[in-house]
Amino acid sequence: MKNSSKLALSGLAAGAVNGAFGGGGGMPLLLMLKNWCHADTKKAYASCVAVILPFCTVSAAVYAFRTELDWRAALPYLAGGFMGGLVGGKIFTRVPNVWLRRIFAAFLLYGGVRYLL
Amino acid sequence: MKIFVLPLLIGFAAGILSAWGVGGGTLLLLCMTLFLGVDQRTAQGINLLYFLPTAGVSLLFHQKNGLLDKEILRRAIPWGTAGAIVCSLLATAADTAFLRKPFGLFLLCTGLLTLFQKQQDPLGEKRNARGK
Repeated sequence: MKNSSKLALSGLAAGAVNGAFGGGGGMPLLLMLKNWCHADTKKAYASCVAVILPFCTVSAAVYAFRTELDWRAALPYLAGGFMGGLVGGKIFTRVPNVWLRRIFAAFLLYGGVRYLL
Repeated sequence: MKIFVLPLLIGFAAGILSAWGVGGGTLLLLCMTLFLGVDQRTAQGINLLYFLPTAGVSLLFHQKNGLLDKEILRRAIPWGTAGAIVCSLLATAADTAFLRKPFGLFLLCTGLLTLFQKQQDPLGEKRNARGK
């Protein structure tokens, strides 16, 4: 398969996941870009964010039209997220990232089990 | 105050994770539904909104550092946007309970893939690049 088709399919899958579950499209997209499309790791990470952003924008619009988005409840998460994004960029170099990834994966597995049971 | 402080802290943690790569949104979603008792659909909406400023800020840095691959963006965004519209229409039409099991499976799969990734650690790479 041509690489351009692989990229298109990866995008389609990530968009579908992101729309259906209200997020989470970045993780499969990253894995596909790296392992299937052989994208440079660093660029794959950064490009993921750029690809997911329009998906979240259109999905948020659909959710806003069709459901009642709770703006007041969302506010503290948005404020915290914004600060976390800034701080995260600053302390980026000092984190034991292999363990971070393991803890994160364990949390995903825990969440998966909770949702399935 | 508790209903404000806890979300603020969780948003903060998820924001840090988002700044380092991907997965912050999923962390946020799971904390809301599993620990804070937010219902699934509200959590999804909040999660989508949350991503807009967080991603917007980090994109400025990525753009400046020349890390955005134009080929990826050009191919993946149009198809993915179409997929996102269709699936969010389906998700908002369906009963949220209907999506619980698929979401659980999705979490298990990505959890396992993340755990057993053999690729070089991208954060380590970035760290080296910064140290130069």
